[in-house]
Amino acid sequence: MTAVQPAPAGRAPAPAAGTVPDTGNGSRDAVPARRRNPLPKTAAGRIRALTALVLVALLAALGVTWRAVDDARSGVRVIGHDAGPQVVATADLYFQLTDMDAQLANALLLSDSTNLGTNRDQAIARYQQNRAKADDALLQAAKLADDASEEATARDLLSGLGAYEQLAGQALLADRQSPHAPGPPSRTVVQLYRSASDLMKLDLLPKAYNLTLDNGTLVRHTYVDKRAAVRNGTVRVIVTGGVLLALLIGLQVFLTVRFRRVLNPALALATVLALALTAAGALVLTAQADHLKKAKEQGFDSILALSRARAIGNSANADETRYLLDPERADTYEQVFLSKSQSVLYLKAGNLSAYNDAVQRQRTTTGFLGFLGDEAGHDELPGQPAAMRQVLADYRRYQADDRAIRRLVGAGQREQAIRTRLGQGDGAAARDFTAYDASIVKLARIHRAAFDDAVRAGDDGTAGWNLVLPAGGLLIAGLVLLGVRPRLAEYR
Amino acid sequence: MTTGTPRKGTLMRARRTVAAAALVPALAAAGCAAAGADGDSVARKDRLVIGVNADQPGLGLRGADGSYSGFDIDIAREIAKRLGVAAGRVRFAKVTSAVRETVLRDRDVDLVVASYSITPERRTKVAFAGPYYVAHQDVLVRASESGRVKGVRDLAGRRLCEVPGSVSFPRVTQERGVRALSVKADGYAQCLQDLVAGKLDAVSTDDLILGGLSRQNDQAGGPKLKVVNAPISDEPYGVGLRRGDVDGCEAVNKAITMMYQDGTAQRLLRNWFSSSGLTVTPTVPQFEGCD
Repeated sequence: MTAVQPAPAGRAPAPAAGTVPDTGNGSRDAVPARRRNPLPKTAAGRIRALTALVLVALLAALGVTWRAVDDARSGVRVIGHDAGPQVVATADLYFQLTDMDAQLANALLLSDSTNLGTNRDQAIARYQQNRAKADDALLQAAKLADDASEEATARDLLSGLGAYEQLAGQALLADRQSPHAPGPPSRTVVQLYRSASDLMKLDLLPKAYNLTLDNGTLVRHTYVDKRAAVRNGTVRVIVTGGVLLALLIGLQVFLTVRFRRVLNPALALATVLALALTAAGALVLTAQADHLKKAKEQGFDSILALSRARAIGNSANADETRYLLDPERADTYEQVFLSKSQSVLYLKAGNLSAYNDAVQRQRTTTGFLGFLGDEAGHDELPGQPAAMRQVLADYRRYQADDRAIRRLVGAGQREQAIRTRLGQGDGAAARDFTAYDASIVKLARIHRAAFDDAVRAGDDGTAGWNLVLPAGGLLIAGLVLLGVRPRLAEYR
Repeated sequence: MTTGTPRKGTLMRARRTVAAAALVPALAAAGCAAAGADGDSVARKDRLVIGVNADQPGLGLRGADGSYSGFDIDIAREIAKRLGVAAGRVRFAKVTSAVRETVLRDRDVDLVVASYSITPERRTKVAFAGPYYVAHQDVLVRASESGRVKGVRDLAGRRLCEVPGSVSFPRVTQERGVRALSVKADGYAQCLQDLVAGKLDAVSTDDLILGGLSRQNDQAGGPKLKVVNAPISDEPYGVGLRRGDVDGCEAVNKAITMMYQDGTAQRLLRNWFSSSGLTVTPTVPQFEGCD
């Protein structure tokens, strides 16, 4: 406000009556000494004071921008490079664990058979690949654990995985000792498999899932905090930038009027630079908040949800095998198949055949809940709706296979059911599940690309600001000093 | 009144704040726009009203003196304790199945712990932490007949209690196609009486409810009953919260995790259900997630 006060300027032309002693030679610019106010009493003093204010405002604007840019940068770093990708990696842990158990069931169901397009050795090889990947993911998850209870969960998982491996090894060994046709193995093997599978289902999988949920909260908290910080930072950048501009303009006006010059070019340039810097800062920060939002909501959230859909779908697929492997528990396995299927794609149904009917009737991408229901709502990315429709079509086909398998079992044609379950021909559940799973992966890839783009844009958006800010600040400060120095010199 | 005691729950909040602060050194000045600026999250309350059942023995039962007892009640107390709310600041309020969503929405209660199964439809109306236990529909019979009823299919031709309005009977007869004979009763307490009196052969509903009924029968000195342990459904019992309270949901999940890690949950399951022959799952359930 002081900067634009026209009062002293109005008086300027008239030679002042009394001079202030310490300005020495500047009698024509002296302010009447009678006016008692806190402002500096001489023009030189006022120029100095205004200049100092400008520099303080400049420092404040730079500081605020620096911190907001830093918030934006660290938000992108955590979500895009550190915790975000790690969380996605740990979410795959669940998939690998379910697949270990699924492959174990396949191996036991197949026994020595070689005519089903797949065999025991393949199942065991895949089991071992999963085991290795699960180890890696578990280590990642343990690293992300940020409190005692999460660490305890990670530890329990490690030791539980050891116990599972032991049971799996025993089941495979016992099965080799009593070869059988494709289908339910010996009673001992079934008992061992039940122990292993129960351990997996009741102990390992819930802990793995909860651990990735915990890890996910880390990303959510960072996102909420950083995005708020960036948005608040944007407001502060605009406010401090506005104050800086007002002061610069005030100084300009003061000099123009007092010294009857058209324009102080250095100061004008400084003002333009300050305006540019403020505008650029606000724009970059707004864009950063947007990149963060895109990375989180269009990328991370969907990637995680689809990773869970994939994991739980895979686990349901294994329940289909278990249903054939362990006839005594067939009812239970059928029921968990239904409840897992419903968490992937929820349609109201009391039993599996009603669910299957509902799934076959589901031709649009709306009107259902579950992981896929959530995903269906995230249709703003190009290619997503088509990929989503493909997932649904593949899911319908897989569920139709499941229906066929259960009908065959009901009709006493267990061998044909196993062929439909594990074979690779038309209408074989194994093949159609693979196709469905691939469609989910493809859908997830669309979100992954959006995530990568947003993270890259976020990285690029703040690149160079470490230099731009100090350089811009020095330049503006230099220009301001350059602009006021000749005027001050007039008083020497 | 529990005056003067410092709120222990701030510990948990402090931990999260520390975690957040470690990530966000510069956040201090962000001021009002704090994370999840949800002023009334249950994670930050120092008093809680918890909606519970009042008529389910073993789970949530209101005694003649107005005090509540049961597995759900103990779970609710433990959660409140771990949220930093002193026992004296927890109040229980009776809820019924029909009003659970409404009372949460209207903020009459902060939490619902009332054998409240998490379903996708309900999740569109309220938030769920947990489940703290996955119950299963199972079958309760007189112990003398437990050798003949090994699973739900053995109910064919037997007299099964049907409580109109409950999904349990149709789940056996329609969804499973088991031709059990219907004996109607007005609630599961009535089913228990009829089972004891020999008017029917089996009761089928959530295993924890059956376990509670069996326990009540034991205490009343009735003939020995047995849960068959042949699950035919998953009923994930969740903790209902107001929709959108993600912080609260995460805090309750943390509380449940810790209850399983320090043995509290296992102790409560043993206390309430071990006498019924029910095989309980002593490991932490798979959570549904808070967002």
